[in-house]
Amino acid sequence: MKMMDLRVTVNGRPRAWSIAPGELLLDVLRREGFFGVKRGCEQGECGACTVLVNGRAVNSCLMFAAQVEGCDVLTIEGLADNGKLHPIQEAFLDHGAAQCGFCTPGMILSAKALLDRNPHPTEAEVREAMAGNLCRCTGYLKPVEAVLAAAARVAEEVGP
Amino acid sequence: MRERHVVGHNVRKVDGVALVTGGPVFTDDVRIPGMLYGKILPSPHAHAIVKHIHTAKARALAGVHAVLTYRDVPRVPHTTAGQAWPEPSPYDTYLLDSKMRFVGDRVAAVAAESRAIAEEALRLIDVEYDVLPAVIDMEQAMAPGAPVIHDEPDSTKIHDRSRNIAGYILREIGNVEEGFREADYIVEREYRTHRQQHTPLEPHITICWLDPNGRLVIRSSTQVPYHCRRQVAMILQMPVSRVHVIKPRIGGGFGGKQEMLLEDICGALTLASRRPVKMEYTREEEFYMARSRHPQILRMKMGVKRDGAVVASQLTVLATTGAYGSHANTVQGNTGSKVLPLYRAPHMRFECHVVYTNMPVAGAFRGYGCPQGFFAQESLVDEIAEQLGMDPVEFHLQNAIRLGDTDKLSAQLGEGREGLPRLVRSCGLPQCVEKAAAAIGWAEKRRVHNGPRPHLKRGVGMACTMQGSGIAGVDWASAFLKMNEDGSFFLQVGASDVGGGADTVLSQIAAEALGVTLDKIVIASGDTDTTPFDVGAYASSTTIISGGAVKKAAEKVLAQVLAVAAQLLETPVEKLGWGNNEVFTLCECRKAVNMTEIAMHAMYKEKFQIMDGASHFNTDSPPPFCATFAEVEVDTETGQVRVLHLATAVDPGVAVNPMQAEGQVEGAVTQGLGYALTEELLLDGAGRPLNPNFLDYKIFSAMDMPKLTTILVETDEPLGPFGAKSISEVPINGPAPAIANAIYNAVGVRIRKLPIRPEDVLHALGAQAEACATI
Amino acid sequence: MFEKVEAFHRPTSIREAIRLLEGGTGRAEVVAGGTDLVVAANSTTRILIDITRAGLSYIRKAGGTCTIGATTTMAELEASSVIRGLAGGILARAAATCGSVQIRNVATLGGNLANGSSAADVAPVLLALDATVVSADPNGRRQLPVAEYRKLVRSLLIEVLIPNPPGGKRCGWSFQKLGRTALDISLVNVAAGLKVDASQRVTWARIALGAVAPKAIRMATVEEHMKGRMLSAVSIAEAAEGVMRAVRPITDIRASADYRREMSGVLVRRALGECAAQAGVAL
Repeated sequence: MKMMDLRVTVNGRPRAWSIAPGELLLDVLRREGFFGVKRGCEQGECGACTVLVNGRAVNSCLMFAAQVEGCDVLTIEGLADNGKLHPIQEAFLDHGAAQCGFCTPGMILSAKALLDRNPHPTEAEVREAMAGNLCRCTGYLKPVEAVLAAAARVAEEVGP
Repeated sequence: MRERHVVGHNVRKVDGVALVTGGPVFTDDVRIPGMLYGKILPSPHAHAIVKHIHTAKARALAGVHAVLTYRDVPRVPHTTAGQAWPEPSPYDTYLLDSKMRFVGDRVAAVAAESRAIAEEALRLIDVEYDVLPAVIDMEQAMAPGAPVIHDEPDSTKIHDRSRNIAGYILREIGNVEEGFREADYIVEREYRTHRQQHTPLEPHITICWLDPNGRLVIRSSTQVPYHCRRQVAMILQMPVSRVHVIKPRIGGGFGGKQEMLLEDICGALTLASRRPVKMEYTREEEFYMARSRHPQILRMKMGVKRDGAVVASQLTVLATTGAYGSHANTVQGNTGSKVLPLYRAPHMRFECHVVYTNMPVAGAFRGYGCPQGFFAQESLVDEIAEQLGMDPVEFHLQNAIRLGDTDKLSAQLGEGREGLPRLVRSCGLPQCVEKAAAAIGWAEKRRVHNGPRPHLKRGVGMACTMQGSGIAGVDWASAFLKMNEDGSFFLQVGASDVGGGADTVLSQIAAEALGVTLDKIVIASGDTDTTPFDVGAYASSTTIISGGAVKKAAEKVLAQVLAVAAQLLETPVEKLGWGNNEVFTLCECRKAVNMTEIAMHAMYKEKFQIMDGASHFNTDSPPPFCATFAEVEVDTETGQVRVLHLATAVDPGVAVNPMQAEGQVEGAVTQGLGYALTEELLLDGAGRPLNPNFLDYKIFSAMDMPKLTTILVETDEPLGPFGAKSISEVPINGPAPAIANAIYNAVGVRIRKLPIRPEDVLHALGAQAEACATI
Repeated sequence: MFEKVEAFHRPTSIREAIRLLEGGTGRAEVVAGGTDLVVAANSTTRILIDITRAGLSYIRKAGGTCTIGATTTMAELEASSVIRGLAGGILARAAATCGSVQIRNVATLGGNLANGSSAADVAPVLLALDATVVSADPNGRRQLPVAEYRKLVRSLLIEVLIPNPPGGKRCGWSFQKLGRTALDISLVNVAAGLKVDASQRVTWARIALGAVAPKAIRMATVEEHMKGRMLSAVSIAEAAEGVMRAVRPITDIRASADYRREMSGVLVRRALGECAAQAGVAL
């Protein structure tokens, strides 16, 4: 089977990987050490594999790796800035929003995609943005509270 | 009471940073050179004998390193239930067998260099089956002439294999016949509950390898590392000391991982191939090849006096454990022992048949028999209260078990054996009822039913429930602490944090007992080589039992710390105080030494390690109490039930970490909401799963959630560390009956079958309309 | 799952895409969002053709027609001011219900049509709006009403055309969907549009349903019956009855045929009620 080249920017750094043509993005990312991208269902239903591609939340289990050629991919590992946690990550810790933590990377990335586009979401908008991230531990309440708190914090930092 | 600086505070999870940054801390987050991929060939038939099985082609496939059938492995009867030895479940399971007892049962297993090769190898295994008639319907399992599922002579602890009865329970206190004769009103109803699946976001996964000294290492997503070790050693016929189980971070368990599920077969493939092997369930396999909740048919009968006092309650249950008897006796035992005694009836009777069927195997699932039982009981008392003209709140307050009461039924129903009587030493139930009722707006909403549009009707309903905290006389734990130069302590516990925050809570308990800040505790948990024994995370035992061990160990270590401090401060121990990382004299001059100084002195001057350990168990299981109030809106045109608000008030004893405790409640009620309304594992007439995926097995998403109110009503439990009981299971019991009762309040129909689907509501409304029309 | 795939192509033009599809002789599959293809995991696929860079993502309004490129995503439809302004925004509304944010960010209009699911949410809307589908193969382009479109092995769905629907303040539109939870495949869905004259007589009616037949269907007979008559609660109830008689739902694990039939009536009543309200008709 012939391998092909993939050039993609992941977490701000350009990568050149050798992939099989039919490989899925989830498998390639985990193979390359991005363990924060989780395998939960492989059918695009649970959102544990969520990553951002050019700023948009997608299920990496449904995307062929070859489709992100030349794109900007963000995984959870790329969110903290040199060890300094992103406000969403801090909020998740402050609000007890991570229990087992398996859905957490996907939730945080969905939240980031939302806040980047809509810095002042309503609770309903937060819930809609996170509806594709299933969680069996939290009942979603604390994660939603954490995202709203993070939005307020980011708004504060950015200023009027 | 000493002011508490760590216990009772909303501290951040000690493992939180790793989780929010996606650190590689879960089972699959390792790369082991030479690791193979293992897979099980599942039976396509619900009941069949393997007449011939040919593996030559599979073995010959390039990249295949092991192929196992029943001929290649030892035959050791066991249970997969993660329970203390001797496990009170039938020993009716085999690593690999020649008889298949459910669709998904293990035909064979392979280990290959990739997932694709493993899947190809499975396709190359030739199997000829003798297909047998199957028992699909549990009501047919005991019928004369029904196919016998466990006819193998070497299985043991089966109640009556000829009639497919895995377990049978009969317990009575007082005399219910007499009780019913004394009653002024008697109501008897039948209820049906269904298969719910845990759907942890992380499916079951195990990686095994042989360490350089030939010991079998098992890295697994498990709630029960120690039970796993014992069971795998027995099944693979190795000494326990040659098996090492490591529990990393777990992506949810909820009881589904209180099971030795993949570890034995993965270990067997490792031994056969001499290579590391990973086995993980796909989401589809997780649905029907893992475990699920026992379906039950419950017949409940209650007799009350005119004034509302319950005189007799009787519960008769038919349950199925599926193809194997994992947790068969104990889940169903709970349906009686944790449910009936909520009411102070002098006469109680519980009878249960747990039958085998050729269906997916049931097992432990949060609530452990209580969701089923409370659905029946709390729905029934709602009817009784109405018949008596009583507000259900009044009925509950009058009849519920109280502080100082003894629950005698528990003495009869322990973990499948004689239990111990239960004394209620802490009880916040009345306050739970009062606060949750107020939160939902009970008084105002009980009589107002019109929603914002004519076809929308609203109503409120309630349920009271209880659980246990650890299994009395059975669950036990141990903890070990050692001190470091910087005044910190390594805390080693066998306890399994499955995501609920046990590591954090246990660290808080240790810190509080030692008088240090939380950052001075570093915890390691769930490793059978390096942490002492713990039964594992189940039965709501971790805070009270593992925490009890931690507190004991900390107190012993504190004594050593104080002895050194006494030396340094030249003051007797009785005249010392401690806290905030230091020890000080209790006099006006207040001399102090900090933990670092104490540690350095002990290690480098006195030359000894400050360290100690302790074990702990309780002879009672203090119940946490819960009041659940639901407000629903019923769309009378579509039958859809929307829960507007769910208020849950829980008495967990003292909440060691209130924020985490709330999180447990919120997660539990969400599973309860799914249990009530949307979740059901469906199988066809041949025992094949119909919806083994999230597309058609519907769990609640963030957009489905009602408003949640969580109220902690703290009490002080003498048997718990710092007064704690438990909280992680009990809230799951309330939503189904509270919602069913709220639906009745809204539209006057009672649904006695779960899940409550729109079609069921519409059907009931239609039947009600017809009945009214014929009057 | 796709270990046997030999080649992955990313054509940058329609012509190149068609050429690759033709050259793939039955072993090639077109992929855009992948939300159906990856789940289906067809093990005979040997060549994948990613058409998301072939210039098929566009939403244009020119003269009387709205043209939507096949790889336009549901998220783009939902957000587009052109689509939100079209027919009361019912296409945007339907697109917004096509799964989670992650799905809608990649799922395409063309992929949804090509998949041909009976319960597809955009299908009844396109039916109600008299949409046509343009597909292309080496022999050229073909345009078919959406009801007649079928995915063919060698042809590529290029774009969907929607003629200008009736407008003005006596128009009303509605999209209704019934699911088990907030994010669900439809048990029943309805797209409806009505136009009335000054005396509240129906001059134009469209009612289309999904998940109640093998493909989305238009209730042409019911529509005819409504035309020329006064729009009222009675006429709406009659329309709902007519729909319930016309649908051919099945029983599956999601719902029974009886329930789907009854709900088609409920949703049609609600849809027509919403249309009436928008059109300024008091019922």
